[in-house]
Amino acid sequence: MSEAIPLAGKGPAPEKSRTDSLPASLSNEYQDRLLLEAMKDWEINQAVLEPMSRTGPWFWVIVAVLAAIVAWGLYAWGYQIYWGFGVAGINRPVYWGFYIATFIFWVGISHAGTMISAVLRIFKVDWRRPITRGAEAMTAFALMMAGLFPLIHLGRVWKFYWMIPYPNNRFMWPNFQSPLMWDMIAIFTYLIGSSLYLYLAMIPDMAMARDNTVRWRYKLYRLMALGWRGTEAEWHKLHRALNIFSIIIIPVFLSVHSIVSWDFAVTLQPRWHSTIFAPYFVIGAIYSGLAALAAILVLVRWGMKLQNFLRMEHFNALGKVVMVAGLGWLYFWFAGLIVEWYGNEPVVMELLHEEFIGSLAPLFYLQMTCNVLPIFFLMFKKVRTTPVLLLTFAIMINIGMFIERVLIVIGDLQRNYLPFNWGTYRPTWVEISIVAMTFAGFSLLYILFSRIFPYVPVWEIKEGRLRYTLRRIGRLLIPTAAEIE
Amino acid sequence: MGKTVMLMGLFHESTDTADAIDRLYEMKIPEEDILVMTGVPYPEQALGRHSEWQRMPVIVLVGALTGFLLGVFLAVGTPTLYPLTVGGRPIITGPPAAVIIFVFTMMATIVSTFLGVLWEMGFPSFENKYYHRLVTSGHLAVLVECLESQVDDIHTIMEAHNGHHIQSAERMAL
Repeated sequence: MSEAIPLAGKGPAPEKSRTDSLPASLSNEYQDRLLLEAMKDWEINQAVLEPMSRTGPWFWVIVAVLAAIVAWGLYAWGYQIYWGFGVAGINRPVYWGFYIATFIFWVGISHAGTMISAVLRIFKVDWRRPITRGAEAMTAFALMMAGLFPLIHLGRVWKFYWMIPYPNNRFMWPNFQSPLMWDMIAIFTYLIGSSLYLYLAMIPDMAMARDNTVRWRYKLYRLMALGWRGTEAEWHKLHRALNIFSIIIIPVFLSVHSIVSWDFAVTLQPRWHSTIFAPYFVIGAIYSGLAALAAILVLVRWGMKLQNFLRMEHFNALGKVVMVAGLGWLYFWFAGLIVEWYGNEPVVMELLHEEFIGSLAPLFYLQMTCNVLPIFFLMFKKVRTTPVLLLTFAIMINIGMFIERVLIVIGDLQRNYLPFNWGTYRPTWVEISIVAMTFAGFSLLYILFSRIFPYVPVWEIKEGRLRYTLRRIGRLLIPTAAEIE
Repeated sequence: MGKTVMLMGLFHESTDTADAIDRLYEMKIPEEDILVMTGVPYPEQALGRHSEWQRMPVIVLVGALTGFLLGVFLAVGTPTLYPLTVGGRPIITGPPAAVIIFVFTMMATIVSTFLGVLWEMGFPSFENKYYHRLVTSGHLAVLVECLESQVDDIHTIMEAHNGHHIQSAERMAL
């Protein structure tokens, strides 16, 4: 946002803070880059609302395919409930298999939404504006998918209510010393927080949609706008609430993945019992979540033709953050590895041996390639600002992070301190179907969300337009932001 | 006291709006009789209006305290009420209790923030209210409650500051 545009003329020029006297062509170039082009507010409304009702045959084909995968996954889950947990591949000693690996993956994906929205809102970073809603929606839907796995992994899912603390005639009470209880409460808290945060920031845009639509959409938006009129008091209170939310939700998002990591770290399982696990999980979650967001934004930009809003400058900035998160992940991974390696504990060395040159080596090297290679490529602006390249590397990162979760959960459980208790694991069709169901379910929810609710936060973009003017310093035009938030 | 009417005018520019509001103050129209509606959040006092005191921070703090107490009750109170006796006493440990107390504090803070802001804004509120649909299309609406005898003067002020669609305000379904 802060790059300068060189002026054509030579010689010193006095400092100015107004754009009126600037050459029209330069002014247009600047305006085009910063979304300050001559779009009226109502044109922005239309540019956001119009793609929501554009559903061609391909849209319905994709929806049908995703719905079919979800239906198949539900059948697989029903099959598991009917026949029992034995139809899954988990066994002794691999008690946690594909389900828990995918659970961690989805919790990780959910982290980018808060990262982008809350953290960047607090720091008043402007490039967040067009992408916050997409990120927040990603958080909410990823958490919904993550929240399914503890239920699926219960086996007897109908006993779920036993985890809810209320006086009962079973003379049983949830054990709050258990990390699994922490998990349930933390994820529930994060889901509530993320959903309310998403909805709160959407209220003004619901009013905008209410004022510009008819029939069922009007009824829906009217209900969700809650009677918003845009009075000064309403805006002021909304801003205050969003600021409070932004501050509260950051420790929550940090705690959620820390708690998930403690599911592992508080056990005496080799390679899990580590103090670095919580920050390692958090940075990995941010890395995969940001990469997932980048991939989704590229696809949404292409599918909904939102080139006016999701611009190269946003992908450039997002790519940089992904790269930094990747470097952070690499640092924590190495910091954990070197301590384990120097410890020279036999069972840990056996696990490292399995990863580096044993049966897990193909997965390990695929994971490292997918996670490390993009970091180097994302150093180049050309890569960050070429959507197809960014999409490729973002998908690579998520493949890598998924495999990393598989290696942590399944790989490490295969060995323990009792060699007679070593084993292996292969997922069954039931587990693969259920995992596929969550990927399809996430995509389906996201696609439907993007067609029902304004994907781009219109009011935030308009607020951003208010902030910028063009300031002339010497021979440069410098975008200058006013302190209005 | 004569009969009052609601007059609404729309503006394109925030500067014009602020100037028009200043003129209305000069006419001794009280601040509480003027309502400004915008499609974009303008900085506080940009339109010449006072900043409103809010109870939000208090609501949030009360929520946080409630969550903290709930967390303490669940992490410390319930193991005492439903003891799983180990070594002759119930298990009550510090670090797990800290996790539970933290999460419940955060959960209650989040929920109280949300409910608090809705309560402060008086939402949901679906009854008919004075409004203009052009507000979300970039216009600034100024709604004035005034005496019938003041209508012409206010109309003139609004017009002088590039106001348009100046007319008696209509309640509409929101």
